[in-house]
Amino acid sequence: MITLTSPVETVFHRVPAGVKLGLLCVATTGLFLLGSLAGQLAALGLVAALYALPGARFARAGLAALRPVALFAALIAVWHLATGTVAEGAVIVLRLVSAVALANLVTMTTRLSDMLAVLHGLTAPLRRLGLRTRPLELAISLVIRFIPVLSAKGAALAESYRARSPRRRPGWRIAAPLAGVALDDAERVAEALRARGGLSEGAKR
Amino acid sequence: MSEIRLDGAGYGVAEREILRPLTLSLRERRIGIVGRNGSGKSTLARLLAGLIAPTQGAVKVGGDDIYADRKAALARVGILFQNPDHQIIFPTCGEEVTFGLAQQGRRDAEAAARAALKSFGKAHWWDRPVGSLSGGQRHLLCLVAVLAMAPEWLILDEPFAGLDIPTTRALHGRLAKLEQRVVMISHDLAALEGFDRVIWIEGGAVAADGPAGEVLAAFRAAMEGVGDDHTDLAG
Repeated sequence: MITLTSPVETVFHRVPAGVKLGLLCVATTGLFLLGSLAGQLAALGLVAALYALPGARFARAGLAALRPVALFAALIAVWHLATGTVAEGAVIVLRLVSAVALANLVTMTTRLSDMLAVLHGLTAPLRRLGLRTRPLELAISLVIRFIPVLSAKGAALAESYRARSPRRRPGWRIAAPLAGVALDDAERVAEALRARGGLSEGAKR
Repeated sequence: MSEIRLDGAGYGVAEREILRPLTLSLRERRIGIVGRNGSGKSTLARLLAGLIAPTQGAVKVGGDDIYADRKAALARVGILFQNPDHQIIFPTCGEEVTFGLAQQGRRDAEAAARAALKSFGKAHWWDRPVGSLSGGQRHLLCLVAVLAMAPEWLILDEPFAGLDIPTTRALHGRLAKLEQRVVMISHDLAALEGFDRVIWIEGGAVAADGPAGEVLAAFRAAMEGVGDDHTDLAG
């Protein structure tokens, strides 16, 4: 199963989640204000240094997590090459990669419960208005836990399709059964939640 | 210690009756439940844990309606599901164990969760992603999470199915030492041998109820006499 939080303990783990999220906001705003190619290159260099700091193993895991960004970067690069605005394109691609890499760094080094505690603090005014925010926090946890579970179930369905089919890729054919599996899982999670207290607000943090 | 009482408690979906009205009083320390596939055992476990409401009659633990009053139910009964993946809700072990404690309204939920993991010698699991645990370790995590909530009763629905012999033995060893009262559904008859009471469920009703030795012997004899056309495969 993939997990978003890195099991490699880094110096960044010790920084409070609120501080990291605050710095991330500031840094991302900075990236958008920074218009020069040299500035963006320096920023990316700085981000790379942050990844390298905890060691090679962490840097590799971080790089792997960033793989999906490459697709978007490539798309933007192709567009700018086609329209002849290469310098502009380079700035945008570098900015995109740095921003996503920084956000990913925070994700990798912050425990979900700490992230939720920040959210809990930020949503305090809503609770004062009488809105329940606990379901929102739980929903975030559940998404993170069940994305890998569902992708594993999808892979299992694809495997059992392959076992009895000359085709190698089932494609859309497993969409309906996967939806069925997801609904079934949802029912079970609901039961597991109920078994341990459901969606009540729980203890005051 | 509280007592589980079923007063004509039955469960059905639409026209189909899954569990016929049962009247039982459970108070023994170790109670086993046996029965064939589809006999209604898992439905009974869900009723006992207050996860589903009986469609007739009532299920009460220590006088509390455990379906309606979930706050009371959490202190009364904990349930260990057959498949740990159906039970684990959170991405890391620490969060998984903390959740139930926080739901019980404990302010020291996190500290108590750490203590619970430590008591099983698994303090180092705190930040461990649940996906990196093996099958047996996941069962153990579920057990830690439920026991941390300190329920009076522990309901086990075919626990440890699919685990290897040494892992099963180790987990049974842990269970044997629990002070909790246990209701265990199992196909592993040897595991129920030393229990105080065994209930055999057949077709949604009690077929036999009594000391483990007697009921298990009757159940085993009946099962070995079953021909192919009477198995779950027929029909």
